[in-house]
Amino acid sequence: MNLNSLLNIVEATLFRRRLVVLVIFALTSIFLLFQASQIKLDAAFTKHIPLNHSYMKTYLKHQANFGGANNVLISVCDSSGDIFNPEFFTALKGVHDKLFFIPGVDRIQVKSLFSPSTRFVEIVEDGFAGGPVIPANFQPDEAGLAIVKGNIEKAGIVGSIVADDYSCSMVKTSLMEIDPNTGKKLDSIVLAEQLENEIRAEFEQGNISVHIIGFTKMVGDVANGAKGVVTFFAIAIAITTLMVFWFCRSLALTVLPISCSLIAVIWQLGMLSTLGFGLDPMSILVPFLVFAIGVSHGVQMINSVAKIVKNGKTSKEAAQLSFRLLLVPGGIALLSDTVGFMTLLSIDIGIIRELAITASLGVAMIILTNLVLLPLLISYLSIDSKTSKQTNNQPASDKVWRLMSAVATRQFAVVILAITALLYAVGLYYAQNMKIGELHAGAPSLHETSRYNQDTFLITDKYAISVDYMSVIVETTADACTYYDQMDIIDRFQWRMENIAGVQSAVSLASIAKIVNAGYNEGNPKWRVLSRNQQTLVQSIARVPSSSGLLNSDCSVMPVILFLEDHKAETINRVVDAAKQVASELENDTLAFKLASGPVGVMAATNEAVEAAQIPMMLYVYGAVIALCLLSFRSLRATIAVVLPLYVVSTLAQWLMTELNIGLTVSTLPVIALGVGIGVDYGIYILSTMSVKLRHGASVQSAYFDALKERGSAVLITGITLAIGVSTWFFSDLKFQVDMGILLTFMFLVNMIAAVLVLPAIAAFLWPQRK
Amino acid sequence: MRLFVILLSIFIIPILSAQTLDARHAPLASKSLLLDITLVSQDKLVVVGERGHILLSSDGVQWQQAQVPVQTTLTAVYFVDEMHGWAVGHDATILASKDGGLSWQIQQHLPHVQKPLLDVLFHDVDNGIAVGAYGLFYRTQDGGENWQIEYHNEFLYPEDQAYLAELKSQDEEAYLDEQGSILPHFNRVVADGRTLYLVGEIGLIAKSNDFGVSWQKFDEIYQGSFYDINRTQEGNLLVVGLRGHIFRSLRNGTPWQQSSSHVTALLSAIVLSDDQRIFILGNNGVVLESQDDGASFTKHIQKDGKALIAGVWYKNNIVAVSDVGIKTIKVTK
Repeated sequence: MNLNSLLNIVEATLFRRRLVVLVIFALTSIFLLFQASQIKLDAAFTKHIPLNHSYMKTYLKHQANFGGANNVLISVCDSSGDIFNPEFFTALKGVHDKLFFIPGVDRIQVKSLFSPSTRFVEIVEDGFAGGPVIPANFQPDEAGLAIVKGNIEKAGIVGSIVADDYSCSMVKTSLMEIDPNTGKKLDSIVLAEQLENEIRAEFEQGNISVHIIGFTKMVGDVANGAKGVVTFFAIAIAITTLMVFWFCRSLALTVLPISCSLIAVIWQLGMLSTLGFGLDPMSILVPFLVFAIGVSHGVQMINSVAKIVKNGKTSKEAAQLSFRLLLVPGGIALLSDTVGFMTLLSIDIGIIRELAITASLGVAMIILTNLVLLPLLISYLSIDSKTSKQTNNQPASDKVWRLMSAVATRQFAVVILAITALLYAVGLYYAQNMKIGELHAGAPSLHETSRYNQDTFLITDKYAISVDYMSVIVETTADACTYYDQMDIIDRFQWRMENIAGVQSAVSLASIAKIVNAGYNEGNPKWRVLSRNQQTLVQSIARVPSSSGLLNSDCSVMPVILFLEDHKAETINRVVDAAKQVASELENDTLAFKLASGPVGVMAATNEAVEAAQIPMMLYVYGAVIALCLLSFRSLRATIAVVLPLYVVSTLAQWLMTELNIGLTVSTLPVIALGVGIGVDYGIYILSTMSVKLRHGASVQSAYFDALKERGSAVLITGITLAIGVSTWFFSDLKFQVDMGILLTFMFLVNMIAAVLVLPAIAAFLWPQRK
Repeated sequence: MRLFVILLSIFIIPILSAQTLDARHAPLASKSLLLDITLVSQDKLVVVGERGHILLSSDGVQWQQAQVPVQTTLTAVYFVDEMHGWAVGHDATILASKDGGLSWQIQQHLPHVQKPLLDVLFHDVDNGIAVGAYGLFYRTQDGGENWQIEYHNEFLYPEDQAYLAELKSQDEEAYLDEQGSILPHFNRVVADGRTLYLVGEIGLIAKSNDFGVSWQKFDEIYQGSFYDINRTQEGNLLVVGLRGHIFRSLRNGTPWQQSSSHVTALLSAIVLSDDQRIFILGNNGVVLESQDDGASFTKHIQKDGKALIAGVWYKNNIVAVSDVGIKTIKVTK
């Protein structure tokens, strides 16, 4: 059975039982609409990291012991620059008490000036003496505040609980995995809202400001930012609708492709929800793409229908014919999109795989909604040929196409190709400087100007706290912390790492044990050593609880925490390389240094995974695109003409990333694949018409002119609708959405320009010149 | 078999303990924990500290790291002339230099002793003593080729002396164990002409007129530790110690009078200026200044609150060592 007879059967079946098919579509849509309404925003941390990377295996292995990463830090500040006044202490106590009672907060871990565990210790002649920093009988008056000020100095908490310049004070806690009230997993987004409403909103007034950071708060802010996407989606729909109307000048022909594309989006969301996926702030991109791709294929469909109606056919006949005409080329284009997205599955990062699944699912839906449902619906319309007259009989546009077709002559093509080659060379040169990883300070998901990042900068500035840290985990034998030799190795590792440029400071059980040892010797710094005497060593470690995150319960695992100046990729690389080098020098049979945990450890693993994935991903995407082109055109020349411009544009996109300081990250890595996967559509549309003409002996220029007449306006509309959809992201609150928006808009527009200028120029040289 | 193990351990332990790692050159050495500083000549400074770091400077700004054969924490340094110096530290380590501190050789390194030496003093290139924790006391008469241990039990109460004597006759091993821990820490030894002064734990102040062979203890004036003693520009004695304690003696030892420091930090070092002022350095960034020969002090707390451990008067400033390395403290009059 050949393709034609198969098409006949499909066409006949669908169009003879139009009503039945429509009812099936309607029922499916209702079911999936319900499912889609159940979809949840989901921003699980583990999806964004390469779980199978060796660093992340170390991270996950020791997460239970040193999990403590899920902390909340609340800095209460007084704009007068001095915390020692009654209003401040009242507000601070209020924040402390409120935080204590928020469900999911680990109450034992709530630490501030007001927690009883915040004590000062003094060395006196016969040992230690001490008490709580805020005494039980504290009154926030002048005398009481003076006592507290003295105790703060003795307690050595300036830089941790109190800001270096005494203008702020910290309330911190760690969060539990499980909400004890509900017994369910703690909902970060809900907790972040509580922090915002019950703490910030309530206590931030007058001189008092409240600054909240921590993973949970960030997730909450990212989720809030992601909600803005709904507005962008509405704007994208509105602009796209206007565009389509301007193109076809028919209300009915505008509403149908838009509706069918929206149905594709609903189906996609419904399928996701049914499959148990949530919507991640990053994969929110997919509905935009699905909508835009849907519309562009819808435009092809109405373009074809209108043309046929103009030739005097009924709308049913026109719809049926268009279905037949477009199912194969449209199907191949959508299939190539799908395959392009599927290649992302090869990357071992959860969120990118999720993107691959959701995007390929969505595009597959379009085959049903816009290549099947749309013509069926159109067949019910009564289109008079006058409406469509304007669309298809435009001598003005013919003139433009005539002019443009000149690029397919060799004398113009030379110029185009020379410019392209020059751009490619410059682009390739600068693309070498493209950076891997996050390039900006603060939480990379959010803008530097966002409240969260401003709070982060304030806290890292006012306190001796860095959020950019990496833990190197020391794995050794039980009770290793009581052996001088093992502790000495850890100590030497720490010192070697402190000397690496980019490492601001470091802490480990060894460095704390030395300070404690000096403490036991009257605070004399000459005793700041690890004791060779086991009992003495044990004594200096006994005061360090495992909740400090510096040791596990039998001290067989001890992290060395390295605080870095920033999380730029070059800093991370330098520190990671040095850590591996020093580790290999110091390790022995019973002690190993394992990379890496902490936020920067995660970044290091992600950077390495992203860098490693970049080239294979490009190979797979291009492999898939080349295979599909070869398959559909059965011509090497055609494949080269389609793929070469795509490749040049990919390189230019990397140049753009370098220029705009956008690093290659989990969110920007898939953009290239998406851009290539969708960008190939333009070339396929244009070349599929051209190749038929060329086969019949037309010159390249006339073949190209015919292609432009038939597809030109549709290609332009496609490129513009796609670009509009993603360009609304420029205004997102989320930094990575802005980056993705910029890059995708660039890829869509420039790929379109390359398809109408560079592709015919290449063709002019690949096919023989005829007159 | 057991004999074999014992023999083995006798022969192997000294070999093992002789295995040391050279101090590494590190960019942050001058910013790490440094514990003593000395002026070797007109301009030349030498500091010692953690991880076998020894640094030299001829301007107090640029520091050059010396070749040191150990990574042990060094606590004190002394130069008898421009060329000959000694540094001591943990693991009862004694190092010597004959080239003004550029390179150092091990004279003693005894990790199994598990005690630090805390100060070193030489009378001439041959005769020197090193003192440390639990009354650790070594003497050399050949420039450090050989160091002999000495026990100065005259610092013990009579009943402790009797107890030790009894133990010695009964159980040699227990005696040695006890002898190694019964004495107070010797924190600092200072020469004042022919007289040596020694200060240490439990209010220890003592003097010797025979370079430390025999010691006379001063009457007890304080229960806590003393960390430094010095003769002031006007010839009075000043001693500083735990919890901001300063005592001053106007007539060679007695009676001592306490001077108020207004701080409770550990006071670790006395620095005499060439303009009649006295400075005392201490933990928590404490710098005390006296313009009346130590009768009264005003405090200048350093903002970073780091422990100031030792210092010298250098070009009208104090160059001090701290737990974050070398610091120049400007103390304009």
